[in-house]
Amino acid sequence: MNAWEIFYREFVTYEGYETVLEGLLATVIIAVCGLLIGFVVGCILAVLKIIPAKRWYAKIPRWLANIYVALFRGTPMVVQLLLIHFVIFPIMHIDIPTLAEAVIAFGLNSGAYICEIMRGGIQSVDAGQMEAGRALGLGYVATMVHIIIPQAFKNVVPTLGNEFIALIKETSVAGFIAIVDLTRAFQNIANSTYEFIIPYVVLALVYLVLVLVITLIVRLIERRLKVSDRR
Amino acid sequence: MTAVDVTKGFAQEMRPSIDVRNLYKNFGRLKVLKAVSVKIEKGEKVAIIGPSGSGKSTLLRCMNLLEDPTYGEVWINGRLITPVDPYLHREVICASGTFRTIYSLRSRAVAEGYMTEDELAASVIAEIKRCDLLRRFEGRDYRNAMKALKYAFGMNVNLARRGIGMVFQHFNLFNNKTVLQNLTLAPTMLKLASKEQAEAYAMTMLRRIGLADKAYAYPSTLSGGQKQRIAIVRSLCMNPEYMLFDEPTSALDPEMVGEVLQLMKELADMGMTMVIVTHEMGFAREVATRVLFMDDGRIAEDGTPEQVFGAPKDKRLKEFLSKVL
Repeated sequence: MNAWEIFYREFVTYEGYETVLEGLLATVIIAVCGLLIGFVVGCILAVLKIIPAKRWYAKIPRWLANIYVALFRGTPMVVQLLLIHFVIFPIMHIDIPTLAEAVIAFGLNSGAYICEIMRGGIQSVDAGQMEAGRALGLGYVATMVHIIIPQAFKNVVPTLGNEFIALIKETSVAGFIAIVDLTRAFQNIANSTYEFIIPYVVLALVYLVLVLVITLIVRLIERRLKVSDRR
Repeated sequence: MTAVDVTKGFAQEMRPSIDVRNLYKNFGRLKVLKAVSVKIEKGEKVAIIGPSGSGKSTLLRCMNLLEDPTYGEVWINGRLITPVDPYLHREVICASGTFRTIYSLRSRAVAEGYMTEDELAASVIAEIKRCDLLRRFEGRDYRNAMKALKYAFGMNVNLARRGIGMVFQHFNLFNNKTVLQNLTLAPTMLKLASKEQAEAYAMTMLRRIGLADKAYAYPSTLSGGQKQRIAIVRSLCMNPEYMLFDEPTSALDPEMVGEVLQLMKELADMGMTMVIVTHEMGFAREVATRVLFMDDGRIAEDGTPEQVFGAPKDKRLKEFLSKVL
C-alpha cells in the first residue's frame, strides 16, 4: 500500500472523517465563541481604559484593565489554557465541559488583544460624536453603545478579522487539555498509521481553506458596513 | 455660631434661566474663563461675540457642562448642575473649620468692641474668598452644608441637558445612523416618545425644512448646510427650552450660510431662547436681543445690539468692531 491508500483507508474506511468533522466543529466553536466573548470583554476593557477620570479612585478600573491586559498578553496561550484547566477551575470546584473551558480561556485571551484594538477604534471616532450624544441628554454608556462602538467597530473590522484568523489558528493548542480539535484529529490519524506526510499536509490545507473563508466573510461584512460611508 | 440652615435664603426666584455664576475654567495653566457671571432668561436671544481664544465657545460649552468648570456654578431653571462651589455660599464658608479658626482667633476684636460680630464674620469671609483658604478637609459641618445644598438644588446633568439643545460647529450628526434615526434616537432612547410618535414628529420637522426626501439618507451624503439644519432639527426633536449654538455657520461654504441663518431666524421668531456664539455680526445685530462681547476670558461688554454695535464703550470692543465690520 502506498501512502495515499493508507490515508484513504484510515480516513474513509475506518471512518476517520467523523473524528475530523468533530474536530473541525470543535475548532470553529472555540474560535467563534472565543471571538464573541473576546469582543464583549474587549469592549468593556477598552471603555474602562478610556473613561475619563480625574480622581485617583476613578482610575482603579483603568488599572484593573491594564493589569488584565498585561497578564493575558504577557503569558503564552497554552499556559493560560493549562492553568484554567488544571489549576483555576479545579480549585474553584467548577465542573464544566472541557470545550467550555477552552472557549472561556480563548475568549479571555483574545479579550486582551481586542481591548487594545477597540481602544484604537474608539479613539479614532471623532470626539464630537460623544459630545453630540451627551448634549442630547443620553448617558455615557448609551452613547458609547449606540453611537461610538458601532462606528469604532466599522473602523476595526479588518483588524478584528486579523484577530479572528490568529485565534482560529491558535485553537490548535486546545489538544493540550484533551480536546479533539482539528489538529488533534489529524494527529490521531497520523499516529495510528505512522504515515505523517499526507495527514499533516491535508491539515494545513484545511486551516488554509478556513482562513480563506474567514477572509471572504470579513470582506462581506466590511462591504455591508460601508453603507453609511460616502458612496 | 449656631447651626445654619444652608438652604434658607436660597429660594430662587423661579424665572426660568441659565444662570452662570462666577465661572472659572482652566485648561492646565491656561486660564480661559475668569469670573464670568451671566444670567440668560427665558425668551432672550443672546449673541456672544469676541476675538478667537476669548473663551466664547468654552462659556457656551460650560452651560451644558460639556466642559467642567474649574470653579463656579451653573444653574438651570433654579437647579444646580455643577458641583457646589463653596466660595459662592456664605453658609458653607461659615460652616468650615477654617472660618471658625480665624473667627475665634480674631474674636477679641468683638470682645473689645472694635467690630460687631457681623462685621468680623464678613471680613473673615472676604479674606477666605480672597486668599482661597478653604481646603478639602474642613470638617463634618462643612461637608454637610455642601451636601445639603447639593441635595436641595442639585440636578442630574443628563436631565438638564434634555432641555438644552446644542448645535455644533462641525454638525456632529451621528455618522452611523440615517437622518431619521439621528432625529429619533434620543427621544426614543430616553423614552420621551414612542418610535412612531418620534418618527412622525421628525418627519414633520424635516418637511418643514424641506428635507423630508433625505430621511433615509446617511449624513455623509448631505451638504454642509443640510447637515447643520438637520443638526438643529435634531436638537428641536427633544423640545428643548434653550438652544445653544456654537459657531453654527463657521464650517459652512458661503452659499450655505444663508439657509442655516434663515432657519435660526425662524426659530428666534418662534420665541426660542437662544445663545449663539457667532462671527456673523449682521445676524447678531438683527436677531439678538442682547449681545455679550468677550475678551480674554471675561465679559467685557453686555448690552442690546444697539448699545454694543452702535455705541461701544470698551476699547477692545471698538477695535474688534473696526476689524470685523
